[in-house]
Amino acid sequence: MMVVLLVLPLLSALFMLLWPRIAPLLALLTASVCSLVALQLLLLVSQQGSQQVLLAGWPSGLAISLEANSLSSLLILLTALLQLLVGLYAFATHRRDKLGAGFWPLSGMLQLGLTALWLSRDLFNLYVCLELLGIVAVALVSLSGDKAIKPALNYLLLSLFGSLCYLLGVAILYGAYGVLDITVLASQWQADLLSSTALLLMTLGLMLKAALWPLHGWLPAAHAAAPAPVSALLSALVVKGPLFILCLLWLQLAGATQVAAVAPWFAGCGLAALLLGGVSALRTPFAKNMVAYSTVAQLGYAMLALGLLLRFNQPLFAAALWLFVLAHALAKATCFLAVGEITATLGGKRISTLKGASQTMPLAMFAFAVAGGSLIGLPPSGGFLAKWALLQGLWLQGGQLFWLLVIVLATLLSAAYVFRAVVLAFNRADPVAPDFAPRILPQWLALLPALAVWAMALYSEPLLQLLKQEGL
Amino acid sequence: MTDLSPQLLLYIVTAGGLFGIGLYGFIVGPQTLRRILALNIIGAGIFMLMVVLAYRGLADDASLPSTDPVLHALILTGLVVAVSATAFALALLARLNQAKAAQCSQDQLRHKQGPGQ
Repeated sequence: MMVVLLVLPLLSALFMLLWPRIAPLLALLTASVCSLVALQLLLLVSQQGSQQVLLAGWPSGLAISLEANSLSSLLILLTALLQLLVGLYAFATHRRDKLGAGFWPLSGMLQLGLTALWLSRDLFNLYVCLELLGIVAVALVSLSGDKAIKPALNYLLLSLFGSLCYLLGVAILYGAYGVLDITVLASQWQADLLSSTALLLMTLGLMLKAALWPLHGWLPAAHAAAPAPVSALLSALVVKGPLFILCLLWLQLAGATQVAAVAPWFAGCGLAALLLGGVSALRTPFAKNMVAYSTVAQLGYAMLALGLLLRFNQPLFAAALWLFVLAHALAKATCFLAVGEITATLGGKRISTLKGASQTMPLAMFAFAVAGGSLIGLPPSGGFLAKWALLQGLWLQGGQLFWLLVIVLATLLSAAYVFRAVVLAFNRADPVAPDFAPRILPQWLALLPALAVWAMALYSEPLLQLLKQEGL
Repeated sequence: MTDLSPQLLLYIVTAGGLFGIGLYGFIVGPQTLRRILALNIIGAGIFMLMVVLAYRGLADDASLPSTDPVLHALILTGLVVAVSATAFALALLARLNQAKAAQCSQDQLRHKQGPGQ
């Protein structure tokens, strides 16, 4: 089943290159089949526990091993569903937005890279997945033409540098222990200087690739320059890949002293990302940049949750971490699609373009506001669920007033930048006239993930249980 | 960690030096082409380190002919990734320069036609 999830996107991407004419059809078909298979995998894993496959029957250690626990199958399902949705949006708008034919095979490769990443538990396989993901993401950014080349090139260079740092760490670890599998490595782990250096190098590379503060500088330019469907995929999924590996490293490999040393730094970085990313989102004059900076800020929550999880080892923080990832993926997909649709129809890049959008494009604006509600953490939404888990964990620890205050401040900041857009949209005195009649279908498609993120609150109990157990 | 002979240590230090040179070039280098080359030098340093690590534990026992094959496989994979990434970066750089040249010639044209046109 896991092999199907990997082979299908790869094959379909290759066939799309052969027959570009039916590429959208193939892409949508692949994404829907993969969603079904991923759902089946999730059900299987939740019944029978985690599954492992050794490719081509090689013995363990030589073979490429794939392992699916409930968290990875949940992430695979999310990836496949978002691919399907973004594919539909891209198909609905590809004539108007002049999306290059390269989008379809590249999105297939993106799905392959992400699925392989969620399934790998081997340091070198993870490196290959990271590289694949990085190159495909850059190629997707460069689809929007000459303006995007410069940010894309910058993104590529930094991403390659990040991967090389990671690779150096892998080489050092392999030199010291002679194994690459994470579980085997964890059993032989010694918290000495060599392993600390390797971990630090890998962490640096991964933080650069995941755009975690203070290494986030490339993200707003790259995500804002990309076409709307691409930005949605990048912000929702691609930055989560390196974050996943980071969690694997620190939760499964690192020794207790190393964890204790690094936890405050992670929490501090998360805090700075929340505050500074929020302020940047509040100040930028461009609509897509605002959403991109909000990604930087929201990744701060995940980082903060990771830091607190390492510090206190409380399962609620693990749940908070992955709930943030899920809720942010859905909400950010909606934000980018809705803002892309509004700016394309109203013809402008600035936030002031949104003026009167509640009148001219009510559906897209509603989608943005609903997703913004989840970003702020208004109940009942996925974002609220995640924040509640985080606050509850802090409360149970006791005496963490500082962090509680910080989270309140960050919430206020995110509310400020979301309302900055929403307030403009309700300014009906002098609305920006649309360049052409707004289309209904793309707006509905943009609304779907926002509805899903609010529906997350309805299934909060099983989700919380699942993520508390499987905090990796 | 197995012990390394002085020869291997020399290679490791060289690999570290290559990494350092690349890092310096990547951070300081003002031109994009230089930064791409610097990334390749970093890559060369890491691959050299991996080649050397494949010989670890064999220094005192010369009767063992083979080295660690897993590392060789990793280096080959890494080389393929590095080559394709470099090619992609160079292609992007060429596109960027083309776009800049086109922009320049357009500007010149507008300049020649004079204002008000």
